Amino acid sequence: MVLPRYAWRRLYEQRLVILLTMVAFVWPLLCAGFIYLTNHLELLQGLDADFRAFIQVNGEFFRVFMYVQAGCAVFLAALAGPGLVAPDLANNALPLYFSRPLTRWSYALARLTVIVGMLSVVTWIPGLVLFALQVGLAGGWWLLANWTLGAGMVAGFLVWALILGLVAMASSAYVKWRIVAGAVSLAFFFILSGVAAMIDAVFRVTWGHVIDPAWAVNRIWCTLLGVEPPDGPGAGASTLALVTFVLLLVAVIERKLRPVEVVR
Amino acid sequence: MENIPVVELEDLKVKLGRREILHGITCRLGVSGKGKAVGLLGPNGAGKSTLILTLLGFLRPSAGRARILGINCGHNMGEARSRIGYMPENDSFVGEMTAVTFLRQMAELSGLPPKAALEKAHEVLFHVGLGESRYRELRTYSYGMKQMAKLAQAIVHGPELVVLDEPTNGLDPAARRRMLKLVTDMKEEHGMNVLVCSHLLRDIEQVCDEAVILKDGAIVHHCNLEEERRSNRSFVELEVTGDDRNLRAALPEIGAEGVSEGGGRWRIVLPAGVEVEAIWGLTAQQDLLVRKLTHRRDTLEEIFLKAMGHLSHTPGESLTL
Repeated sequence: MVLPRYAWRRLYEQRLVILLTMVAFVWPLLCAGFIYLTNHLELLQGLDADFRAFIQVNGEFFRVFMYVQAGCAVFLAALAGPGLVAPDLANNALPLYFSRPLTRWSYALARLTVIVGMLSVVTWIPGLVLFALQVGLAGGWWLLANWTLGAGMVAGFLVWALILGLVAMASSAYVKWRIVAGAVSLAFFFILSGVAAMIDAVFRVTWGHVIDPAWAVNRIWCTLLGVEPPDGPGAGASTLALVTFVLLLVAVIERKLRPVEVVR
Repeated sequence: MENIPVVELEDLKVKLGRREILHGITCRLGVSGKGKAVGLLGPNGAGKSTLILTLLGFLRPSAGRARILGINCGHNMGEARSRIGYMPENDSFVGEMTAVTFLRQMAELSGLPPKAALEKAHEVLFHVGLGESRYRELRTYSYGMKQMAKLAQAIVHGPELVVLDEPTNGLDPAARRRMLKLVTDMKEEHGMNVLVCSHLLRDIEQVCDEAVILKDGAIVHHCNLEEERRSNRSFVELEVTGDDRNLRAALPEIGAEGVSEGGGRWRIVLPAGVEVEAIWGLTAQQDLLVRKLTHRRDTLEEIFLKAMGHLSHTPGESLTL
């Protein structure tokens, strides 16, 4: 736990990280207000009946909540994630770490833990707080009927945090320069999303979405939350695509996180 | 624990890709717990760094075995690494950290409890002369300070063996002297074993008790510098004009030995107690005009030049030439 402890401290010494983390709490606060309103319909007496029927805390509500928080998480991961790995590579610090009782895998896991932990602060933790708020206001019956929403949200966010963490680490390991690594992290999602859309448009298919990790994660979320999925490949194909992404990212990390670069 | 070599290599071969860098090295260096320094010498590309990286477990041997402090590098590297300190050749640090935080983290990673790690970090930074700047970020350090910080992180956890890769690289004379003094203190006062990799003969000569010379991935010489120093021999490089054919026969008269390199150039070894004035007397007797005379005590250069093949014979080794 030595590396995560020091990395955690380094992370929150950056003002931008703290600022972005605080910004990421705005949407959960608005959602908390929404939950309060849905459980106090008397406050909405003057409003349209259709609107009152629309505002419900269900899978759709959590999906919208997750979309926004996932977006914040992308920026947070791109901003802070590379700062944990790129400086070690840029300053050639890996030989110092690996000459101690620390394996490459434990180093990578320690860094990944910190990124996932940092993203958890703005993703599933506030989500779980909202879920608990809803349970508190709606009562135990709501929990019994909708516990899968809470479990699905936590699992969905953890998958997303894992992908973001690996992308941030792989880009840092590859380019070794924090700012560029952050830009590469962002570009990774935008470019793949664009390529996926292009494949779909050119070949008039929908399977092109599988190469867009954000879309694949969204597809899995829909299954986890039990909401209407978008057109395209199913949850199984999306899971397979994500597993492939994870393996590719792990391969990049494995190749680049070495104490010495061997020139063959 | 007695007589366990610091480094033990058995037919060690290391390949990088298809290229074999180390060709079956076998040797036993140093004795664990004795506080001695072993020098690893060789020209660029000799395999010094490859050997060090293999000992640290960064590279896998393609054949043979390497043991460090009696621990097999292929199997129990975790245990070995907690007993080793490593100072790499290149810049290695975490720029955003202050020196004291960096050292504390490194000490904790080596197994020290947080409080002890902090105390040791302060203590070691004062010891290497960075006490006043220990709260500065490492990226603001000068090159010499970074070298000292690298040394500090290598010794902060009190390792049994410290591996130093080119520790004096790029240092000015004053910083170099301080670095060598610290290395000497490490072995003499703190009983640490030191493995110094360098291409600077004077550094090795000054701090090491043993030296290994590598060339083209093989050991070409292994010598005990302590014994060489005890013999208190000194070396003379002489260049004369005139008929010097009788000089070799005359040298034993003053107890000296020497080899001719042709063109009036000689390498002569003087035994303990014989001063350089004796050479002046001898050349005068032989009617030789001295064009150049250099007198020094660093024996390692002779050994190194011979090992590299630049010198066919080391004076004092044999008189048959």
